[in-house]
Amino acid sequence: MQTSTTPKRLPRNLILFIALGILAIVASSMIPAGFFTWLWDRLNVFATVFLGIFVEAVPYLLLGTLASGLVEIFLDRDQMSRWVSGRPIAAAVTGAFMGMVFPVCECGVVPLTRRLFHKGLPLSAGISFLLAAPVLNPIVILSTAAAFGWGPMLFWRIGLSLLIAIVTGIIFSFEKEAGNVLRPALTMSIEHDHAHDEPNASFSEKIRNALLITADEFFEMGRYLVLGSVLAAALQTFISQSVLLAIGSGPLLSVLVMLGLAILLSICSTVDAFVALGFVGTFSFGSVLSFLVFGPMVDIKSVLMYSQVFKRRSVFYIVAIPFMMSLLSGLIFNYFSP
Amino acid sequence: MQTRMYRSFQGLLLLGLCIFFASKAANGQLTWYINSRFIPLTIFGVIFLAVLAQIIFTEIRRSRKHDEEHGHEHDHDHAPAPMNLWIMLVPLLIGVLIPARPLDSSAFATKGFNTNSPLVSADSSAQIFETESEERNVLDWLKLFSYESDAAQFNGETASVIGFVYFDETLGKNQFFVSRFVVSCCAADGFAIAMPVEWAEAATLEQDSWVLVKGSIKSVTLNDKVAPMIVAESVQPVSVPEQPYLFP
Repeated sequence: MQTSTTPKRLPRNLILFIALGILAIVASSMIPAGFFTWLWDRLNVFATVFLGIFVEAVPYLLLGTLASGLVEIFLDRDQMSRWVSGRPIAAAVTGAFMGMVFPVCECGVVPLTRRLFHKGLPLSAGISFLLAAPVLNPIVILSTAAAFGWGPMLFWRIGLSLLIAIVTGIIFSFEKEAGNVLRPALTMSIEHDHAHDEPNASFSEKIRNALLITADEFFEMGRYLVLGSVLAAALQTFISQSVLLAIGSGPLLSVLVMLGLAILLSICSTVDAFVALGFVGTFSFGSVLSFLVFGPMVDIKSVLMYSQVFKRRSVFYIVAIPFMMSLLSGLIFNYFSP
Repeated sequence: MQTRMYRSFQGLLLLGLCIFFASKAANGQLTWYINSRFIPLTIFGVIFLAVLAQIIFTEIRRSRKHDEEHGHEHDHDHAPAPMNLWIMLVPLLIGVLIPARPLDSSAFATKGFNTNSPLVSADSSAQIFETESEERNVLDWLKLFSYESDAAQFNGETASVIGFVYFDETLGKNQFFVSRFVVSCCAADGFAIAMPVEWAEAATLEQDSWVLVKGSIKSVTLNDKVAPMIVAESVQPVSVPEQPYLFP
C-alpha cells in the first residue's frame, strides 16, 4: 500500500514546489524596487524603538521584582493582615496610598502586586495599589512637577489617579471569591523548593533566596515586557502618529486620541510627563490630563503583564473602568474648564 | 525541561543581557536608545544582572553538589515554562542581528516632524536668550520662535547648528531641512524637529548625512507659522555626534 502511494505523491509535491517557485519569482518581480530598502528602514526604526523601550524598562522591572522577592522572604501573612484592613473601602484606600511605601512604576508594580496577593493582601487593596502606585510615586511626582510645575496638572493627576484606583478597588471588592479574579497559578506557589520558609535560615541565605525569586520573576514578567515592547514598536513603525494627531480635535475625539496614544506609546510613568508636555500646544488641558492619568494604568506591556496575574475577564475590567473614568474626567475638563 | 537546565539557560541569558547593556554603555550607543539622564539606571541594571547571574550559577553548583551528596532522591523537577527563556532571547537577537542605527528620516513616515517647537514648557525663553546665538541648537531656535511674538528681532543673528539632512518636497530647490530627534525618555517618544536651510549647493548633500550649518537667521512662514530659516554660508559634513538626539 505504502509503496504504491509514495511514487504518486512525490510528483504532486514536486509540481506544487515548482508552482510555488514560479509564483515567488513572479511576485518578487512585481515588488517595486524600493521595497526592500523601505523594509530595511522600517526594521531599523522598529529595532531602535523596541530597544529604547526595553533598555529603559529593564532596570525598573528589576527593581520591582527585587521588591517582590524581598516581600516574599521578609513579610509574613500576619504582618500583612495587621497592616491592611479587611473592610473593602478602607482596604482600597490603604492600597492606593501604599504606592508611597513601595515606589515602583508600572513595570515593577505588577510582580509586586502579585506577590502581595500571595501574602494575603485583600483584592480591593491590591487592585487600587496596582493602579495608583505608578503615579503615587516620589519619582513620578517630581518629574510631573518638573514638567508642569506645582500646579493644577500635578494636583489633578494625583487626585484623579487616586480616585480611579480607589473606585476600581471598591468595585472589585464586590467579588468575594478571589479565585474568580486571580489566575489559579497565583494560589499555588510559583517558586519551587527554595526552602525560604525555614525560620532559622541566616540573613545571607534569606537574601540569596530573595534574589533567586527576583531572577525567576524577572523572566516571568520580562516575557510580557518583551512582547509588549515588540507590539508597541511595531505599531509605532507602521501606524502614523500624525494621522492620529490629525483626528485629535474636538472635546471627545481629542481625549480618545490621547488615551489611544497612552496605550500605543507604552512609556514609563516616571517620564511620561515630559512626553505629555509635547502635546500641550495641540491638545487641551483635559486631554493631556487624561493621558497622564490613564497612561500609567494601562498600556500594551502592562496589559500583557496583568494577564499573568488576573483572569481575562478581570483584565478587561481593570482596563475598562480606568478607561471610562479617564475619558469622563477628560470630557468634564474639556467642557467646563477653558 | 529540568530545573538545572532551565537554571543554566537563565544564567546565560542574564549574563548575555548584562554584557549587551554593558557594551552599549561602553561604546556610547546607549544614547541612541534612551535619554542620557537614565544612563545611571542602566548601569545599575548591568550590575544587578551580573549579581543575579552569579546567584543563579551558584545555585546550579549547589544543587549539583547536593545531588552528589544525597543522590536524586526528590523527583519534583518542575521548572518554569521554557517559553520565558525563548522570549527573553528576543531582545538579544534584535540587538545583535540588526545593526544599531539611531532614528533618522526613515522614521519621519510614521513619526512626522515639526518645524515649530511642540514643547511649550513652564520654563521661559530667558535661558535661551542668554546663550550666545552660535551656541543654540535646533530645539533652542524653534523654542525661541515659538515663545517670542516678534520673531523678526532674530533676523540676521548668526546660527551654527548640527543635524541631519532631510529633503522635503515642500521646500524649494536650493533648500533642505537640518533635523534632530528630541527624546524625553527613550526612542519610543522621539519626535523630529527641523529647521529649513537655504544653500546654493543643497543638491550635493545626501539624505540623512550629518552636517554643521553656519549662516544667518531669517524668519519665514512655514505651514502658516513663523519659523527660523538659516541662510547658510557654509555647510560642512560632520560625523554623527556622540549624542544623536537632543534631550529637552
